[in-house]
Amino acid sequence: MNKTSREKFAALSFFLSPMILMVVLFYLVPLFMTIYISFTRMRNWNVEKYITEFVGVYNYQRLFYMFQHDPTFKAVILTTVVFVGITLIINVFGGLALALATFFISEKPASTFRLLWLLPRMSPIAVYSLVWYYFFHGSEIGTLNSILMKLGIISQPIPWGQIVPWGAWSIIIFVNGLVGVSFGMIVFTSALNQIPKELVIAARVDGASAWEISRKILIPLMKWHFLYVLTWQFLSLLTTYPHIFLLVQWDLVNRDYGTTLALYVFNTAFGRGEQDQGLAAAAAVILSIMGIIGGYVTLKVLQFEKMMKRPRGDF
Amino acid sequence: MVKIILKEITKKFGDFTALNNINLKIDDREFMALLGPSGSGKSTLLYTIAGIYRPTSGRIYFDDRDVTEVPPKDRNVGLVFQNWALYPHMKVFENIAFPLELRKVPRQEIEKKVREVAKMLHIENLLDRYPWQLSGGQQQRVAIARALVKEPDVLLLDEPLSNLDALLRLEVRAELKRLQKELGITAVYVTHDQAEALAMADRIAVIKEGKILQVGTPDEVYYRPKYRFVGGFLGNPPMNFVEAEVENGHLKVYESKIPVPAQYRELIEKLGIKEVLLGFRPHDAEVIKGIGEGLIGEVYSFEPLGREQIVTASIGGTFVKVFAPEGEHFTFGEKVTVKIREDRIVLFDKKTERALEFLEE
Repeated sequence: MNKTSREKFAALSFFLSPMILMVVLFYLVPLFMTIYISFTRMRNWNVEKYITEFVGVYNYQRLFYMFQHDPTFKAVILTTVVFVGITLIINVFGGLALALATFFISEKPASTFRLLWLLPRMSPIAVYSLVWYYFFHGSEIGTLNSILMKLGIISQPIPWGQIVPWGAWSIIIFVNGLVGVSFGMIVFTSALNQIPKELVIAARVDGASAWEISRKILIPLMKWHFLYVLTWQFLSLLTTYPHIFLLVQWDLVNRDYGTTLALYVFNTAFGRGEQDQGLAAAAAVILSIMGIIGGYVTLKVLQFEKMMKRPRGDF
Repeated sequence: MVKIILKEITKKFGDFTALNNINLKIDDREFMALLGPSGSGKSTLLYTIAGIYRPTSGRIYFDDRDVTEVPPKDRNVGLVFQNWALYPHMKVFENIAFPLELRKVPRQEIEKKVREVAKMLHIENLLDRYPWQLSGGQQQRVAIARALVKEPDVLLLDEPLSNLDALLRLEVRAELKRLQKELGITAVYVTHDQAEALAMADRIAVIKEGKILQVGTPDEVYYRPKYRFVGGFLGNPPMNFVEAEVENGHLKVYESKIPVPAQYRELIEKLGIKEVLLGFRPHDAEVIKGIGEGLIGEVYSFEPLGREQIVTASIGGTFVKVFAPEGEHFTFGEKVTVKIREDRIVLFDKKTERALEFLEE
């Protein structure tokens, strides 16, 4: 190593070490611990007894067996796919629609409107979930039920979250979708503000409607932001569970069709009754693999590497 | 091809008045420059003509048609921007074709028209490229082609040359002027560059703080400025101004005295004005070594420019710039006399800074 490259190495280490430390400590170490635990009989947090008891791929076999034969686990997998798929579409396209809609109205009402959509994200998870708990409650005190009954549309209160599968799915998708929309909205709004206003003026003078401006100019120019929101939301939906956890815990939605894989991992490792960390770890590994594959595919399909820029200058 | 009439146009953004009672007639096939410093409202005026902004009050006519409430797309105007505003995700062909596509012109005709206009602007061989693959000058041509392809009645240009380097600017300037005359299109050209306005326009409207100060041919605004501001904004270097007192048929400037120019004698008597600003252009005076007839001062600095040089003289503390021929040698602090061509002198009222002949308007 000559002098300049040693200096370069020193500078690199200095700038990168905090981040590397964080990644190793909070990401790689837990990841390898999870993989390790997934090969043990670890249960009930009895570390001393089980941590060295290897069972090979037994936990994965159990998961596979459950996937084939256990209707509850099948429901969890199906719920995960439906929940992530539909909520992702709502989040990304809802965010895009909101950003475009507010782009074409004047700034003051637009920012008020956007602030409104941020409320779900700003309010504490428990408070926010409680609002929808009352709204969708299965008895006549539930807001939705009481409205529909007053209007004479239904005569008996309907336990919405217990209608499987779509009642339960609709509620978890709705509640999470409302939180997630604001993320896309903010990213897309800032992307829109980066687009030179002359492009829009030019198109307007040439006779383009708001819809044509959006479709032919604005959306093509937001490709990268679209990719970013899509990937980010996909990964976060795959692993999110706090809202769902509360809604299931409070018995608002059906346990089987209200539980996603992420919540299943949590319940299996930390839930009530028998805790099976070995199995939970195996499920977590499967979840991570799904995330990695999904993330890789979206980045590949939308050509993420083209977005990477060479560093400015050589030194 | 239309003539544009702006009648008492006022545009306010909140409390800020961007345009203040603008009256302007732009003739059919005329090349009108809107000239002013940044923030003067010239671009706002252009966008008001385009229909991007709706005036707070006043009317806009294209010929006899009141277009004040007409949306931009129905005004048939072509717009060219300073940053060219090409759509980065479209190739040159698609960029130029875009206005026609929006009008649902048949594909074949689009093809034909795009090639025609591309040929006119010498960019036929670039149609298959993306904007980022083009030089500034080429992008500029594409932007003009896009504005012209729909055969607009009015061509509106917002500082279209400001992003080009100096040499290219001169080249495109000449070409753009020729193109406008060949097409016989009414053009409104916004610029802060006085040389550009003088070189290209049939008439110039000088705008300051949302008001039109003067409208006229390049010669008129250059030689007969209505306001000190106009004289000081046009020309490089701009007009010189020195304070003068009127004293029985003479103008007293610091310690020198020159006779009141012939063209002002009657007017000064009639107005009974005592304090004036004497304005003259740097090439309408000469610097003579030593003390003689004219404004007496001393050389502050001199800058050779090749064919000629600019001499800055201090007349009692007021700097004036005068062109002098090359080869004449000056020294710092040397006593000189600035002799002004009498018929080119413009006198302004010191208080209102208006030219005396327009004082009663």
